[in-house]
Order: sequence, then C-alpha cells, then structure tokens
Amino acid sequence: MTVRLKLALTIVATGLITSLLVIATVLYAFQRFERETTFQRAHAFLARVATNVELLELHERQPSELNAWMRSVMLYEPDSQLYLLDAQGTVLSSTGQALLPPGFKVALAPVQAAAQDPRGPGAMPYVMGDDPERMALDTVVAARPLRRAVIRSNEPVSGYLYLVCRKQGLPGSQWDVLRNSFAFPALLLILGIVALMTGLAAAIIASVTRPLQRLTAAVAGISLTGLERGAGPGFDALPTAPGAGPTQHRRDEFGQLGSAFEMMLTTVRKQWQALQRLDHFRREGVSNLSHDLRSPLTATVACLETLEARWALPTQPSRGDDDRHLVEVALRNTRNAARLVQALGDLAKLDEPEFKLRTEIVDLSELLDDIGARFVQRAAQQGITLSVQHGTAQTSAESPAQAPFTAIDVELLERAVANLIDNALKFCAAGARIELFATQVADRVELRVRDTGPGIPAPDQARLFDRFYQTRTTPAPATGEGGKGLGLAIVKRIIELHAGTVALSSEPGRGTEVVISLPAARLSAQGIATLARTVSDSGHAAATKG
Amino acid sequence: MPATILVAEDQVDIRDLLVLNLRGAGYEVSAVGDGLAALRQQAAAPCDLLILDLMMPGKDGLEVCKALRAKGNAVPILMLTAKSTELDRVLGLELGADDYLTKPFSLAELLARVKALLRRADLLRAAQSAANSPASSPGQRLCNGELEILPVKRQVRRRGEILEFTALEFDLLLHFAAHPGHVFSRAQLLDAVWGYSHDGYEHTVTTHINRLRAKVENDPMHPEVILTVRGAGYKMREAPP
Repeated sequence: MTVRLKLALTIVATGLITSLLVIATVLYAFQRFERETTFQRAHAFLARVATNVELLELHERQPSELNAWMRSVMLYEPDSQLYLLDAQGTVLSSTGQALLPPGFKVALAPVQAAAQDPRGPGAMPYVMGDDPERMALDTVVAARPLRRAVIRSNEPVSGYLYLVCRKQGLPGSQWDVLRNSFAFPALLLILGIVALMTGLAAAIIASVTRPLQRLTAAVAGISLTGLERGAGPGFDALPTAPGAGPTQHRRDEFGQLGSAFEMMLTTVRKQWQALQRLDHFRREGVSNLSHDLRSPLTATVACLETLEARWALPTQPSRGDDDRHLVEVALRNTRNAARLVQALGDLAKLDEPEFKLRTEIVDLSELLDDIGARFVQRAAQQGITLSVQHGTAQTSAESPAQAPFTAIDVELLERAVANLIDNALKFCAAGARIELFATQVADRVELRVRDTGPGIPAPDQARLFDRFYQTRTTPAPATGEGGKGLGLAIVKRIIELHAGTVALSSEPGRGTEVVISLPAARLSAQGIATLARTVSDSGHAAATKG
Repeated sequence: MPATILVAEDQVDIRDLLVLNLRGAGYEVSAVGDGLAALRQQAAAPCDLLILDLMMPGKDGLEVCKALRAKGNAVPILMLTAKSTELDRVLGLELGADDYLTKPFSLAELLARVKALLRRADLLRAAQSAANSPASSPGQRLCNGELEILPVKRQVRRRGEILEFTALEFDLLLHFAAHPGHVFSRAQLLDAVWGYSHDGYEHTVTTHINRLRAKVENDPMHPEVILTVRGAGYKMREAPP
C-alpha cells in the first residue's frame, strides 16, 4: 500500500466519521430543541388553564361541561390531548378520541420524578411521559397538580391536569422530520464542506507525493540503466515542467530534496568519470609497465643464458672481455627494472591517504645549489652547462632578495627537482644549457628548471604528468625514473603533497621550462628553530641511534 | 679479529648471496631463516651486527628488533624490507633498528651500510670506554665562539649551557669543528660522517645541517656558525679572534 493511498484513505475516513458525527449531533440537537420548546409551551399553557377554573369541582358538578370546555381549549392543538386525572392518575376526563376503559390509570412516575427533582421543580428541560392512547413512555408530557383549597399550601394534591403533546400528521421517522426542517440545508452545507475538504486534502497529497514518485522513478532509472547510461542525453533526474530549466525546483522540502539529489548525482557522476579515467590510465599503465619490465628482463635472461651456454661447453674457450660485457648488460638492465619497481612502489606510497610529509623550513636556493652540485659532473660529461641562478628568473644579477624559505620535505622535493634535471639531461644534446632558479614571488616560492633542449611537441605537453604516459615519438633512454613515464608523475604528486603547483611550458626547438610554485614559509626565526627541533626529536633519521 | 654478522632472511637465494658477499668482504657470517632462530642464535652467540628481513615466518623483523631491545641488547640492526611504506620504515626505527634498506638494493650499498654501522658502533664503544676510564684526559676540546665541544664526553656547550644532540648531529658538528673554514660538499659530508656515499641520500645531510643550525645558531635563517658557500657546500666559520 503506497503512502499516497494510505494518506488518502485516512483523510476520506476522517471526513466520513466527521460528517456522521455532525449528522448525529444535529439530529440530537434538533430533537432536544423541539422537545424543550414543546414542553415549555405546554407547561405555560397548563399554568394558564389551571389558574382560571376550579377544574376538579367543575368535573364533580358538570362532567360533560368540563369535557366540552377542555375540548374547546384544545382546539388550537388538535394533536395534543388534555386529561384530567385524580391524585392516583385515574383518568377523570379526556379530550382523546380513543375510548379508555373506565378507571384507566396514567403512569405518573415521570411527572412526579420531575416535580421532586433535587435541582428543584422545573429543572428538567422536558419530561417524557405516558401517552394513554399509545401505551408508550416516549411522548413529551406536561402535568399541573391541582389542589382543592388554594389558600392552604400544604393541602395534598387532589388531581392533575395532564397534557400529552403528540405530533400527528408529521411523518414518523426522524430523518423525514429532519429533511423537512430548517436544519436540512445547514446539514447539507456541512456535508458539502467536509467533502470539499477531503477532496482538497487528497489533491494536496497527490501534488506533494508526485515529486517523490519522480525521484523514485529517477533512482530506479539509474539502478536499471547504470550511472553512465543515465548520464546520457534525454535523461533528467527530476523532470520538471516543460520550459523550466532542469535545475529549477520548487522551494519546498521536496524541491530541496530534488536539488540535493541532482547535486549528488552530479558529484557521483564526476567521481565516476574520474574513476573511469583513472582505471583507463591504470590499465594502460599496467600494459606499459609490463612492456617496460619485459624488455630489461628479456635482455637479462638472454645475457645469462648465453653465459650459461658458454660455460656448459668446456671445449669452448672462455672469452673474457665478451663475457664481461654480457654481465654488464645484464646488470644494467636488471638495475633499470629494479629502479622502475622502486619508483612504482614509491608512487603507491605517495598516493596513500595517510602519507605525511616530514617538513622542515629550508632555504630553497641553498637546496637548489646542492642539487645542482649533484648533476654538474654528469652535465659536464655530456657537454651541457648546468647553472644555478639566484635572484629573479629574468635578471640573475639583481640584489639577492629575501631568501626563499619554505617548508618542505627535503627528501621528496630534492627528488622532484632531481627528476626534472635528470629529464632535461636526458633529452638535451651537447652544447645545451640547463638553468635552475629559486625566487620568491609575493607569498610563493618558485623553482624553475629551464633547458635549451629540443622541447616537447604540443600534443604531448598536456599529458606529460600523467602516470605511465611517455611520448612514443621520442622514447627516453631507459634510465632513472623519467624514462618510464613515472618520473614526472612522481614530481606532480610530490608538489601536490606540498600544496604547490607544477606547470610545464615548452617550445619545440627552443627548450622547455618547468615551474614549481610552493607556498612560502611565514614563520619567525623562533618558529623555525622550534620546528627544526620538533623534527629532530621525532626520530626521523636513520642511524641516529646506537 | 673480523666482525661477526648474523643474517636472518627467509628467502634462500637472497640469504646465500648476502652470506657469500659478506664473507667475501671479510666478515664472519652466520645465517638463519626465521626470527625465532635469530633470537636463539643471538642469545647463544652474540654477534656484532644483525641483518634482519622484515617479512619472515615465525617472528618478523620488527618483533625480533623489539624483543632484542626490550632485553637491553644494543647490537646494531640493519633492516631489510620489501615494503617501502612509511609506516614500516618509521616502525623499524622506533623499535630500535639502526638503519634500513628497501629491496631491491645493491650489494655495494649494503656493504657500505654494514661498514658504516660497525664503525659507528666501534666509535661509540671507544667513546664510552674513554669517558668511563678515570685515566682519560679531560683536556681535548674544541672551541668556536660561544660553542665548546668536548669530543670525549660527546658534549656540546653553548655559553656554558649543555645542548642536546643526537649521535649523528654530534658527529656532523665535530667534523665541521675539526676543520674550521674547510668547505665540504654534501657528498663529502655523507662519506665522512655517515660512512657511505650513495647517490640519493644527500638530502639527509641537508636535514641534519638544518637541525644543527636550529640548535647552534641565534637566527637559523641567517646562519653565522655553519655557513653556506654558494655552489660549493658548507663550512664552519673560523673561530673568531
């Protein structure tokens, strides 16, 4: 059973019960009103009649005259009957049509009970009493005690004037009574209002639950067709009125739910697409990796098999230099494979969410000097000039501005810069220049590695920092991390961990420049000392114990 | 008498190669295949250096390390690990390993580390015995401005106040102080103080110089004691007159 149906049924049931109660209440009130007015009129009538004449005496003297008088009094109300009773209720005279047996007694109990009501006589709004002609206690009656001597108040009651207010000529059932009465239009009005309200409530429920149904349909659609298909054209999570934009929602809670749902969907889709992209890269990467590992391993296996075959034949004279060369090739290839595996493991480590930098405040230009020193010899061997520039990137001879201090993980940042220099050295020909800069620009510190090498074709530039991406047009020599498409990915990851950015610009034939931008340290000297001490206390370095 | 080394490594090929090369380098080597055996062996015949693989059946390298240190055994430990995660590295050092190498490593590097660890252990022993011996002369000390270095006690004072140094920081400072005005590149310092020079570890020197400065300089951002020589390296200022 849907919520919608439940709500509608509840409201209809409430409406029905309400209208039934209203009808019952109206009927009861109407009946009571009628009886009260009847009783009051009867009571007043009896009072007027009884004070005028000494009825009991008249009955004793001239019974027929009394009867005629009584009939004439009742001419105005022909349906009601007037009785003259003695103290025990025996009918002495009556205006009724029916012939009562002589000595017939009217049940006086209700009348007497009303007279002895503890709240006082006349406290009861009306009295239901005995109708002698119908033998039933369901008619409004009024009675007036009669006393012979009016002067003595404690004289016992010697008779009653008894009025039975019967309605005749009106249809018997209360429903018919009601239908003919003034209350009927009011009742109809009430019933109409109840019906209208029920209808209105049902409509509101329908309009309120419609967005829910749409949402359900949208979710079901996604479950059925999948996130990706769902993202295709023609799919609208919450179809709105034609002409309205897809993001326009009503402002109520359901509208908010709808927007939240759409937002969630957008985010999930974005993440899903990112995941897919990543998955694609990984698959491509694994395939590249497998190739990159296979080549050095093939070379190694080939070398070792050759050696084994040679040594298996004792007749074959050992060729010392040749053997040695084979061992060198095997060693070089194995080392390359090992480096690749290492880089892969390191990248995985850097990717771990719980990975933490061990930062310390360092003068970057000093660090750059030291890193440059590591490569000077290799550059010289290749005929490349490697220099470290201080000051701004444009004019190196400017006055030494503020030393570019920044908080970095020395090991990782050095590795990133070394990867960049290694790459530059790999691609540059003899005669090229490689320049390193460290400058402070506002509240950031910039590191530049600029070379005058062959440059990188534009289509490759965008993907260079992707994992496992390597330009197949100009494959790098298989040394270091750089040649296997991991070097720049590691650089990017390290800079990301430092909350920095890395950008590459290159012009084929002119050279390449990589700019690393890091937030500058904004610590006092005191702060740096404290930081350095904290770092040294954390048991960071190897071999400090023992 | 050659130093004794215990190798605990479960992979037979690697174990055999380690034994072969360490023996070739002139050490006396014994080898076991799991952590429990390593603990038994060390209890029966203590050796000068332990090479532990991190992943071993029985007790792994970390547990062996912990057990030994809990017993107060200060034998130098070199940890080998195939997992290069930070967690394992830090754990290894916190649990008392002295150095680590991640697989794959080159034998040359392993031998250099072993040599450095043994040398450091020797130095420490010598310093301790010298400090404990009443006959040792309190005399030799190096002064540089506000700094006063007592090599025998392995103590540094600045304006009379004793500074806390780790062993390596002290060695580095001592090396600088012993050659005031002499410029050292990072590679030279790595070789002289750490005992091995292997490409890729220079950053350790940077980190340690940073820490030295934090302790001995008035303003680490403008060092006056340990100076940078652009493009060449670092030196300690020559003692002011």
